[in-house]
Amino acid sequence: MNAIGIVAALTLREALRRKLIAALAVICLAMIGLSAWGFYRLSHTSGLTSGEIGGAVPEAFILFMFMFSFVIALSASAIASLSVSTEIDSGVLQAVVTRPVRRSEVLLGKWLGLVAILAAYTALVCGLQVGVVFWVSGFVPPNPAVAAAFLFAEGVALLTLVLLLSTRLSALAAGVLGVALFGMAWLAGVVGSFGQLLKIPALHTVSVVSEYLLPTDGLWHGAIYYLEPASYLAFQSGNQDRGDAFFAAGAPAGPYLIWAVVWFALVLVLGMVSFGRREL
Amino acid sequence: MLPARSAEPQAVPRPAPPDAGRGTGPSPAVHTIELRKQYRRTVALAGLSMTVRRGEVFGFLGPNGAGKTTAVKLLLGLARPTGGEALVLGAPAGDRETRRRIGYLPELFRYQSWLTAREVLGLHGRLLGLPRARRRAAADDALATVGLAGRGDDKVGTFSKGMQQRLGLGAALLGEPALVVLDEPTSALDPVGRHQVRAIIRELRGRGTTVFLNTHLLQEAEQVCDRVSVISQGRSLATGTLAELRGQASSVRLRVTGLPDGWWRAPQAPGRWTAEGEWLLVRDLAAGQVPDVVAALVARGGRVEAVVPQQQSLEARFLELLGEQ
Repeated sequence: MNAIGIVAALTLREALRRKLIAALAVICLAMIGLSAWGFYRLSHTSGLTSGEIGGAVPEAFILFMFMFSFVIALSASAIASLSVSTEIDSGVLQAVVTRPVRRSEVLLGKWLGLVAILAAYTALVCGLQVGVVFWVSGFVPPNPAVAAAFLFAEGVALLTLVLLLSTRLSALAAGVLGVALFGMAWLAGVVGSFGQLLKIPALHTVSVVSEYLLPTDGLWHGAIYYLEPASYLAFQSGNQDRGDAFFAAGAPAGPYLIWAVVWFALVLVLGMVSFGRREL
Repeated sequence: MLPARSAEPQAVPRPAPPDAGRGTGPSPAVHTIELRKQYRRTVALAGLSMTVRRGEVFGFLGPNGAGKTTAVKLLLGLARPTGGEALVLGAPAGDRETRRRIGYLPELFRYQSWLTAREVLGLHGRLLGLPRARRRAAADDALATVGLAGRGDDKVGTFSKGMQQRLGLGAALLGEPALVVLDEPTSALDPVGRHQVRAIIRELRGRGTTVFLNTHLLQEAEQVCDRVSVISQGRSLATGTLAELRGQASSVRLRVTGLPDGWWRAPQAPGRWTAEGEWLLVRDLAAGQVPDVVAALVARGGRVEAVVPQQQSLEARFLELLGEQ
């Protein structure tokens, strides 16, 4: 096994041993329980007509998925911020990088390990959510797997950024900065929606620029699109003027997805270069 | 005053170490030329030049903040120099393949607390590229060597600082390295642990392994080092064997019997004489004057039964060097 694989396996083992995965599973189950209760109430005891329920459930589903995306992103930020800077501060990494390994291999191994944890967590959360909502309400979003992939990509974007930050900043600073940037990117998306509503192009431009600088909100909108049933999409498209932050009229454009891939590669390489040049 | 010393600050030969890279013999284990490290306005290392020979135990001595750990970090590639040059085992400091032949116990020794001691050694064995078949045996050997044979399956998080330092030493010994760099290896150990570490260092020397011992414990250096370098404020003040560093004896104590009364009123041999019962202390001797003292005493009818050179302690010499600086 090469250094990348050794470090990735070590990262996974750490997550298991330190009960990170258990903690994430508990949070996941709590959220799914809340979701099951909410959708059951919405579908069976709300006093709404079947037509109203048919419109409300997809919207509620997207809102719940937004909550999940927030938790996934926060979890990604937390695990990434702790993985490099705390090990530098404690001296653990100094003993590793003085072995015949490249620092870039160590960072890439950590990234792969964390990404694997995030993939498992996202798959678990999305799978359970879709299953539970189908069970209590009969609703299934049109493309849950693609939507989950976008949520996962959103988490990986933040994870990669925070990993880069943690090669230079303390765990606290990297984590807080990562979450703050994630929040700002989401807020820029909301501002863009207002720009659309109020016909102010400058506000819309802010959200577009933000989506390129940090693609978390752009990827989140990709997830939204693949959760929207055709009827919901048609209804919301007729009301585009309302500027809804939880609505996506179309799938992310191909060039934007290519940019997102380039962004991942750039930030990851920057992280490897930064860690490689860091004085330990 | 000390007599003429052979351990004055030495000029390290430039530009290259003997045989370095020419294939005519092993290069020095460590060779630095005007190695410098500056952090903004702070000069951590101000032009360190030294040579560590293969197979010797080399003590790197200095007070806190002298630049010892900075030098070690430069040698291992953990930090980059801002000037000068460093070769380790014949390759530029930090060379990845060369690190396979270096064992390192960091000053800040911390290992994954959630792994067992055996797993930590297994991890380092894998990073070193040891074959699976050798890893288990190498880990067992290392655990036994550092006195942790019964604790291999315990989590590192349950270990005391001393046990973690022992584990770090075990990790540094994996893969039979040609050079072992120990940064304050006994800082967390009790006297028994220190004794064991000294025994391990001697054993390494017996195997032909070079040991670079970074320490501020002079007694430790006196007990195990073949040569030492005293560093302060980022510069090497003196390098040599312990005897060279301490210098020639400038005083001698002699046990003399059979001298007649009033013998000391007669003209004295070189040095300042002080009678202490049957003992005589002679100070301020130049090199080679001890036989003259003995001859003078015999000429006065005395019987010289013991001659004990009074060599300067390493600590005294160390403090003197720092004072001179």
